[in-house]
Amino acid sequence: MSIYVRNILRFCLIMALQVLILNKITLRWWSQPQGFPVFIPYVYPLFLLLLPFETPVWLLLMLGFVTGITMDSFANTAGIHAFVCVLIAYLRTNVLNALLPKNLSEYTNQSPNVKNMGWMPFLVYSSFLILIHHSVYFSIELWSFANIGYLLLKILASSATSILFVLAYLLLFTRQVNARG
Amino acid sequence: MRNFILFIRRFFNLILFLVLEIICVVLIARTNNLQGNDIMSSANTVVGLSYKKQNDVVYYFGLKQMNDSLLNENAKLRALIALQNNTYDVIKDSNVHRALPQTDTNQKKIQYADYVYRTAKVVNNSVSAANNYITINRGSKDGVAKNMAVISGTGVVGKVVHTSAHYASILSVLSVKQKVSAKLKDGTTGYVEWEGYRPDVLVMKDVPQQVVVRKGDSVFTTSYSFFPPDVLIGRVQKVMRVKKNSLLLLYLQPGSNFRNLQYVYVVENKMMVERLMVEDSVNLKKP
Repeated sequence: MSIYVRNILRFCLIMALQVLILNKITLRWWSQPQGFPVFIPYVYPLFLLLLPFETPVWLLLMLGFVTGITMDSFANTAGIHAFVCVLIAYLRTNVLNALLPKNLSEYTNQSPNVKNMGWMPFLVYSSFLILIHHSVYFSIELWSFANIGYLLLKILASSATSILFVLAYLLLFTRQVNARG
Repeated sequence: MRNFILFIRRFFNLILFLVLEIICVVLIARTNNLQGNDIMSSANTVVGLSYKKQNDVVYYFGLKQMNDSLLNENAKLRALIALQNNTYDVIKDSNVHRALPQTDTNQKKIQYADYVYRTAKVVNNSVSAANNYITINRGSKDGVAKNMAVISGTGVVGKVVHTSAHYASILSVLSVKQKVSAKLKDGTTGYVEWEGYRPDVLVMKDVPQQVVVRKGDSVFTTSYSFFPPDVLIGRVQKVMRVKKNSLLLLYLQPGSNFRNLQYVYVVENKMMVERLMVEDSVNLKKP
């Protein structure tokens, strides 16, 4: 499968998953005053995280913008998702450079995945960017630090759920080559 | 000039990054006052359509609860009819339906308020953001217009903020941008607002302490705002005394369950234009 087709398919799949299922999740354990905050997992940044290594930075930024705008029109949050997506698309190259032993240009025709990065670096990479995504997103959305404990709790709970979903995605879509051997 | 081009080429990525971020900030700032979000709202056709398709599927899972709520509402309406046939409440009735003498009105019946209820189905809904929007499958072609009130069978829902031909976005009461004028059982008025955290809790601030409020008391809308009067907002769940100014702070449980809204009523007040004209002419604030 061509790398373009694969990424376009992945975009549609992840967006559908996010918009049609995850955005609708409302967990029911905060009904009391002073209860637990509502949280919502955002896994759609995974599309940006899984783009091929040699994608030029300007293309990453444009794709981040498009992803964000798509998400924005579904969630009625004009511009917030786009803002955060462009931010993590910009940070992605630096994080990858810091985590990988070789130069990025040496990984031709590959996307970041568990096999060529290893479990630990990949998890650090994805959780770091997802944590940044969620922190910035919820801070902009709430637009006040008056209730900082609530904000932090919301960020942490949402990021933890999102990372769980990312793990599930990885376990589902990583081909186990040496599973028997 | 050459240096300038070199500079641009060298920092092209950074410049692109900054430009995109600035565009986003402009978008955020522009839509925060609820003006001109024509493209970027769930009322635009493509998004509305895909939400509708999704809703067509999810719709079936909620049928049971919806039947229950419809039955409840039917029961309530029947009770109301029975009540009105037996005892004719003059004061309550006059508020909505009082007709003036015919000589005043050129052979027409004039009413103080004339409400048109339109049912609409919710095709998208959220409760988790700081400003929650609801999309319904009625738009300007069905007569839905900006600033109309939206209520459900059990309580207030919100206000229409944007319409396209077949869809409309509603800013729900679960929004930090929107306060609802409210009154208690004994007529004390105030505002109900949302803190932005939990979809099951609304607050009513600054209630004078001599007002007797008990758990379970109902809070209704007033006729001051765009909502029709006497629609349930919520029931008091908890009463707290603020130590600083010894006013009461009421936590309410909203009348409508925002998590499983299926059908809502869009309420058009036909006298609103005239009322606004009068209110504007003495330079009062718009409701």
